[in-house]
Amino acid sequence: MKPIITVEALSKKFHINPSESPSVRYETLRESLVKSLRAPFTRNRHNGKRDDTIWALKDVNFEVLPGEVMGIIGPNGAGKSTLLKVLSRIIEPTSGRVELFGRVASLLEVGTGFHPDLSGRENVYLNGAILGMRRREINARFDEIVAFAEVEKFIDTAVKHYSSGMYIRLAFAVAAHLDPEILIVDEVLAVGDARFQKKCLGKMDDVTQSGRTVLLVTHGLIMVTQLCRRAILFNGGRIAKMGSAEEVVNHYEAMVRSSQAEP
Amino acid sequence: MSLSTSEKVESIEAIEQSAGANNSDIPHISEGLSYNLPDKPVVTIEATKSWVPLNLRALWAYRELLYFLMWRDIKVRYKQTVLGAAWAVIQPLVTMIIFTYFFGKLAKLPTDGVPYPIFVYAALLLWTFFSNGVTSGANSLIGNSNLITKVYFPRLIIPSAAVGAGLLDFAIASVLLVGLLVYYGFSVTWAYLMILPLIVLTTMFALGVGIWFSALNVRYRDVRYALPFLIQVWFFVTPIIYPSSLVPEEWRWVLNLNPLTGLVEFFRASLFGTELPWLPIGYTAAFTVIMLVYASYTFRRMERAFAEFI
Repeated sequence: MKPIITVEALSKKFHINPSESPSVRYETLRESLVKSLRAPFTRNRHNGKRDDTIWALKDVNFEVLPGEVMGIIGPNGAGKSTLLKVLSRIIEPTSGRVELFGRVASLLEVGTGFHPDLSGRENVYLNGAILGMRRREINARFDEIVAFAEVEKFIDTAVKHYSSGMYIRLAFAVAAHLDPEILIVDEVLAVGDARFQKKCLGKMDDVTQSGRTVLLVTHGLIMVTQLCRRAILFNGGRIAKMGSAEEVVNHYEAMVRSSQAEP
Repeated sequence: MSLSTSEKVESIEAIEQSAGANNSDIPHISEGLSYNLPDKPVVTIEATKSWVPLNLRALWAYRELLYFLMWRDIKVRYKQTVLGAAWAVIQPLVTMIIFTYFFGKLAKLPTDGVPYPIFVYAALLLWTFFSNGVTSGANSLIGNSNLITKVYFPRLIIPSAAVGAGLLDFAIASVLLVGLLVYYGFSVTWAYLMILPLIVLTTMFALGVGIWFSALNVRYRDVRYALPFLIQVWFFVTPIIYPSSLVPEEWRWVLNLNPLTGLVEFFRASLFGTELPWLPIGYTAAFTVIMLVYASYTFRRMERAFAEFI
């Protein structure tokens, strides 16, 4: 069967600037002028001593078949989020190639673009449009979304007056009613109280059963074994293990244990 | 990070019960999918070369988002204000009154025979739209950094929506202009037909400048400090409080190098029924096209790294 996602030799390099403190997140024109003047000297200074780049992803290859739910796990800084951001077209890869044979929706957080001053109703439309839904689609699903979020009574209240639970429920509800062929999800599941979490997982189950392809990044290993058939373990920007969810989770736990055993 | 075995079993059970899921429910790849895979990828992700096409088709596909972002900007702007949309009139109105007193009454600047209040208000209307459009366009990417780091869509939508949202203020403030035209007894002429294309051209020019600054602003925050100053200088080198006829003939071409000169003078000429300045507006139109193309390509080139720099 033909894969719906193919990732070939994907790499992403980030520059880290050792002379700048991490708090300086942007540069001014003067700085970049100064830097270009200093460039020949800085190169000498760092020559052979220190590499100012970091490979967040290095030569990553995998394929996902249609209808598969693929789990992606790994320790912090393993490259999981970078992978999702590249697949979501938020950042560009340094080299390599990704081919997606379907419409993609990515959920890197819930409630992206929610505006506190707008009402619940207005935010559903705004958020839906930001996530790539047509107005027609939102109209058709509006009642379903509001019912799922259980905020019917407050739908015309500004969301800044919502409780944090209501806010998150509404945000999740919009996202849960997206209808793409490929869904990319980053740890946004299981929001709200225990009862609503149950509902979210149930919804996630529906999604996986509907034949949609899902890439799921999470630290919840149980969720991986529950929802996914296959999984990929990332470590240091490379694929450390790929296989059945059970197998990969076991491998990861063994890896964590052995690193803890070392002094 | 590691889970003890007993804990793990327990929590698995908890989730199984709650969500009604278990491993056997997870479908193995089903043969009868509801959709067929296309032969060619819908999306290909690669490192782009230094030259990137504008991709107008992608922009068109996201036109609804443009509409929604404009609508959000408009909705949010006057939330929790008492006077609401009246602010769109108050700003140019108060400026007009002050300018009429100082420049019209005291300094007695010439206006080619047009009453000073309407002479300056017409220009202020266009100027306010332009300067607000450029300023909000330039700051729009930074203000929407949460979108840029979390969702994909053509980034050009963001500054475009910021500039476009100013059109409503322009429309509201125009009501007063119509009132002034009636009050001073100006009659409707064929030249009024030129007003709509002129507004389109002004929007295009504001877009070009706004898009360019918005991209630079992501990389160089100097823009935030330079832009208010630039706008202030630009105001005085544009014939808003004075007519361009005030400048000696042999130096008029310098004034006309400013693309806004053509826009403002043409706007006034079509309103007041004087001779339409075709040459300056032609220059402005050419300048606008070049600026818009250049700004869009600069934007596209820098767009790739927005999420990393913002």
